[in-house]
Parts: sequence; C-alpha cells; structure tokens
Amino acid sequence: MFYTIIEQVVNGIVSGSVYAIVAVGMTMIFGVLRAINFAHGEYYMLGTFGAWFAIDYFDLPYPVAIVIGVVATAVIAVVVGNFVMQRIVGAPAEAGVLATLGVALILQNTVILVFGGSYKFFSGGYIEPVTLFGFTLAEQRILIIIVGLIVFIGLELMVTYSRMGKAMRAVSQNIECCAVVGIDVRHVALWTFILGAGLAALSGVLTAPVNVSVYGGMGELITFKTLPIIIMGGLGNVRGTFVAAMILGIAESLVATYVGLQFRDTVGFATLMLVLMWRPHGLFSAQARF
Amino acid sequence: MTIELSRRGFCIGTALIGLQTVSSSAFARSEDGTVKLGLVAPMSGPNARYGSFSLRGAQMAAKEINGAGGVGGRKINIMAGDSQGTPVEGVSATRRLIDQDQVDFIIGDVSSSVTLAMQPVAEDAGVLLLNAASSNPKITYKAGVGGFKWTYRNYPTDENRALIVLQYAAEKKGFTKYAVLSVDTDYGRAAIEFTKKYLPRFKSQILTEDYYKEGEVDFRSVLSKIRDSGAQAIIMYGNADSTPIVGRQMMEVGIAGKIPLIGNAEFNTASTIKAAPKALEGAIEAAAWLPAYDSEKSKAFVEKFTTEFREAPNNHAYVHWETVHLLAKAIEQAQSIDREKVRTALSKIHYASAVGDVTFDDHNQARLPMILLEIENGKPAIKGAYSAEIDYPK
Repeated sequence: MFYTIIEQVVNGIVSGSVYAIVAVGMTMIFGVLRAINFAHGEYYMLGTFGAWFAIDYFDLPYPVAIVIGVVATAVIAVVVGNFVMQRIVGAPAEAGVLATLGVALILQNTVILVFGGSYKFFSGGYIEPVTLFGFTLAEQRILIIIVGLIVFIGLELMVTYSRMGKAMRAVSQNIECCAVVGIDVRHVALWTFILGAGLAALSGVLTAPVNVSVYGGMGELITFKTLPIIIMGGLGNVRGTFVAAMILGIAESLVATYVGLQFRDTVGFATLMLVLMWRPHGLFSAQARF
Repeated sequence: MTIELSRRGFCIGTALIGLQTVSSSAFARSEDGTVKLGLVAPMSGPNARYGSFSLRGAQMAAKEINGAGGVGGRKINIMAGDSQGTPVEGVSATRRLIDQDQVDFIIGDVSSSVTLAMQPVAEDAGVLLLNAASSNPKITYKAGVGGFKWTYRNYPTDENRALIVLQYAAEKKGFTKYAVLSVDTDYGRAAIEFTKKYLPRFKSQILTEDYYKEGEVDFRSVLSKIRDSGAQAIIMYGNADSTPIVGRQMMEVGIAGKIPLIGNAEFNTASTIKAAPKALEGAIEAAAWLPAYDSEKSKAFVEKFTTEFREAPNNHAYVHWETVHLLAKAIEQAQSIDREKVRTALSKIHYASAVGDVTFDDHNQARLPMILLEIENGKPAIKGAYSAEIDYPK
C-alpha cells in the first residue's frame, strides 16, 4: 500500500510539472498585464501542433520538433501580443477576458480549419519505460520533471536578477509609477506574453508523446486545469504557482486511484475552494495587491 | 351574408372527410406490381455519412435483386426518408413513407433513439419495421412478445456484444478477473451493466471499476491501480481517440502485453496499434461485420461496392445491403407481399448471411453471430463468428 502511494505521488508530481509549466506562464501574464489569458491553453495546443507538423511532414527528430513548436508559437504570440495584448494593459478587466476568449476561438478554429478536426497521432518522444526505485516511468515523464525544475529555477533567477525580470516585477507592482520613471510598459508586457506563451507551448510539446493524440480542441482542457492553480498559488506569484500545481497534480492522482477516475476533475476546484477559505489571497500572497 | 353551420352539419362534414381519408389510405392502395421499401436513415445532419452508406448498401442490394428478376416478379423500389438523426424527424419521415408513399416495409433507422420513436408509428400502421443498425437493447425488449409485433431487428445489440466479448474471454482465454475502464457515457456504462449481468454465468468478477470523461488524457493513476489489483484483462468500451493514450500509458506502468484490453474501442485500427503495439497485443473486440471478414459472400460484397462507389464499404453499408436481401428472402418464402405473411415468414426464416446463419427469436431479434477480433503480432486476426444466448428481462 505504501509502495502504491509513493507511485501515485510520483504520478502526481509528473502531472503537476506539466500544469506548472503551463500555469507559470499564465500567472506571469496576469502579473504584468492584469488579465487572465483565457487563450493560454491554445498556445499549449499550438506548440503541440507545430511539433507534430515538423515530425510528420518533415520527418525531423523530436528535439528539433520541440524547438520548432516553441518558436512557431512564440512567433504567433508576437503577432497576438502586438495586436491584442498590449492594448489591454491598463484596460478594464472585462476587456482582457473578452479579448483573450476571442483569441482562443480564432486560434482553435484556425487550426481545425487548416489541419482538420480529426485526432492526429503524435509519433515522437521518448516513451520507453525506465524502472526507478521499484516503479516504472516513461523517459518522457522524467524529462518533463527535469524541464519543470529547470524552468522554475530559471524563472526565479530571471525575475530576481535580470533587468527584464526586475522590470516585470516593477510593472506588476505599479504600472503608473513604472511609466513615470521611464520603463517601457508595453515592451515589458509584450515580452512577458511571449515568454508565457512559449512556456505553454513547451509544456504541450513535452506532454504530446504521452498523450499521443493531438487535436484542435485540446487547449480548452488545459486552460481550465491551470485556472485554479494560478488562483490558488496567488495571482502573479511564480513560486506559489509551482507549489499549487504540485498540490493539484498529487491530489488528482490520489483521487483517481482511491476514489475513482471520474471524480478527478472535481479536485481542482474543490481544492481551490478549500485553499481560498484558508488563504483568501492564495498560498503565498501576504495581502491583496490591488 | 351569414353562413349557418349547425352542429349536425359540422359532424356530418367531419365524418365525410374522415371517411375519405380512410378509404384513400386503407382500401384504395394502388397496386403497381413493385415492392415499396422505405429506408429511414440520417441523410443530412452530423450523421449523414452513416445515412449515405446505408442508402448505398440498400440500393446496391435492390439493384442486384431486380437484376435477377426481382422478388416473385416484382421489382424492389426503395424510397428514402431523412431522419436527420433525430426522433422527431424520424417519426415525420416514417409517417410520410406510410401515408403518402404507401410503403409495404420499412428499414431504419441507424440511431437507436430514432428507431425507438419509430416503433409505435409502424405498429399502429401495421407496417413491418426491420432495423439494421441500431444497437440499443430496449428496441428488442419491446419487440415481439415484448409488445411491438411489427418490429424486427437484424443487428446485434450492445448487450449481445458485451456478452460475446465476455464469453470469449472466459471460454477461450480463461479470464475470471477484470478491471473496468470505460467511457462515462450511456454507451460505456450500459456496456458494463450488461457485462455485469452475465458475470455469474462465467464465474467472473470485476475488481476495479473506473469511468473516464471524454477527452481524458491521464490514465496513469488508474492503470497503476489496475496493475496492482490482480485483474487479468481490462474491459473497455469507449472512444477511438482514448485508446492510443491508454495503450501508450499501459506501456509506462508495465502492463502492456500482460493485461489485454477487451471490449469495443476501435482496438483494431492501424493507427491505434501503431501508437502502442505491445499494449494492444491480445486485445479482443467484437464487430457486426468487417471488410476483412473472410467469407465468399462478404468478399464479393466488398469488391462490388468498391467497384461501384470507389470507396470501401463500412459497417452501415453492409448491414443494410444484407438486410434488404434478408427481406427479399422473406417475401420470396411468403410468396406474397401481404404484410402478415411476410412477417410470419421472417419469424421462421433461416437466412445464410455473409457472417453466418440468421434466425429470429420471440423478441423478433436476429440471432446472428458477431465477428470476434484479436490483435496478434500487431495485426487484427479474425477468430471466428460467435453467437450467444441472451437473457431477456421478465
């Protein structure tokens, strides 16, 4: 029994890593733009499609496909960032919701129009199982955990020490004062958005080998998984997002095993409710910021 | 000017109108020397592809029969009705065929919910309703001694499929312990209920039971649980899109090649097997018919259909083709197109279909074999056609 619990916790950590990489982009975008990006799952989907296309049509190896998927998504993010996201900096919250939902519809239906609505088979990746400490894990899962750690360490370092990272923190604290002292707010917003979308794409490409199916509507699911995570972790809080993602991943895994697979989807919002009752502003936020 | 309309006048007028209606539909049917066969299927809407294949199959059969001189000298005339896959439209189409086209027999629908709605309409009109493609057992529970004596079905039910899969797993594989991983829909849950109904017959048990939402992508946790439960096979009734994911993740948790999938979730398609070949090894699935089925009649049908329509036939094309032939045989044996006589002939028929011998039970359900597939060395292998004994509700 104890053996099984350990394995389910590891399963949860894998799921949590996937959620974490997607969610951290979403929460950073919120931190800077003050808008929840309802199209975030679509960048996850675009990354997967980009990689699938590279593998199926150009027969490129998986590592190259990862790069292509992320870069292709980043390019699309530049376009959307310039035409949509920069305009909602400082705008009312409703504008952000409406704009990002609109973008989600456009991206999703464009992909379905171009590639068709049927499920595509993703054939790349490292799917051989490896046995560690008595339980098996696909090599791809190990890669996901490692990349997750690298991403979070990298982001912490960037946000803390780099010029752009400091600018991001400044903008998330007070947009007006940044404008006064000469920080280019729209520039910071654009780069944050591109970074967030790229991370979502990265997560999509990393999970594609174990999810196998690629289709136009796959982004919706991931958006609704990440929503409770970013709220639970504290909107705009990178470290909190990581912890919240792990909590959700592990909770889902345990519920799927010991309660039933059909109940796992209730975990996200149930956990969210419990955490918010205990910490109304999220796990790591000392107080409301705005 | 005021028109006086007395109550008596109104009643007489109504009676005259009614009398005219009765005479035109019941006693004045024009006899034109053909067999009028209505076909109800979704000719438009999201399931139009099924309707299209159904119509092609039926038309091809009619063409063959007419080319051979017809049935007792009569040519089969197929009249199509569009159900759009919805009960309301299905009923409208059925009424139109009965009242206006004055068909003698109706084949349809593809969708179970439409067929269920058509049953009372056909019953009231005394028109034979011969279903070829719906799988909901309720249609049969309510037919024959169950109530609707004019409804017949020439297609296996979901219950029949679940029973045959379980029977094969128990008798040929020796499995007695199962895990359930089915889609959380009426279809997935009903298949499991039917399976449970017959577990005692094979001294089997279900150890773990989980249902997944459509679109689920993470099965690792439940597969780990199944691995540790001691189950010998996983019963899975679900969507084609979930099978590659489950298979891929079975490889991860180390049960690929050890605990096979059984049920119905398109285990036999090439892309599914390619996604996780080791996990799909030994998978067991039952089908009403397959293009690959190796029987002379079946292969002749595939070749002819492909030549005529330049597309491989699917299950709906085959079952409608076969059912038109079945009906023609019944008419031939009745030596009449009188509905009562044809119905009697159908109840007694022994029809040699492409998949095996067809007979009808007292619920007017065809007792016909299902083809059983097993994946061997990465390819679907047909293991034969199997029949099973259904327990009807009392």
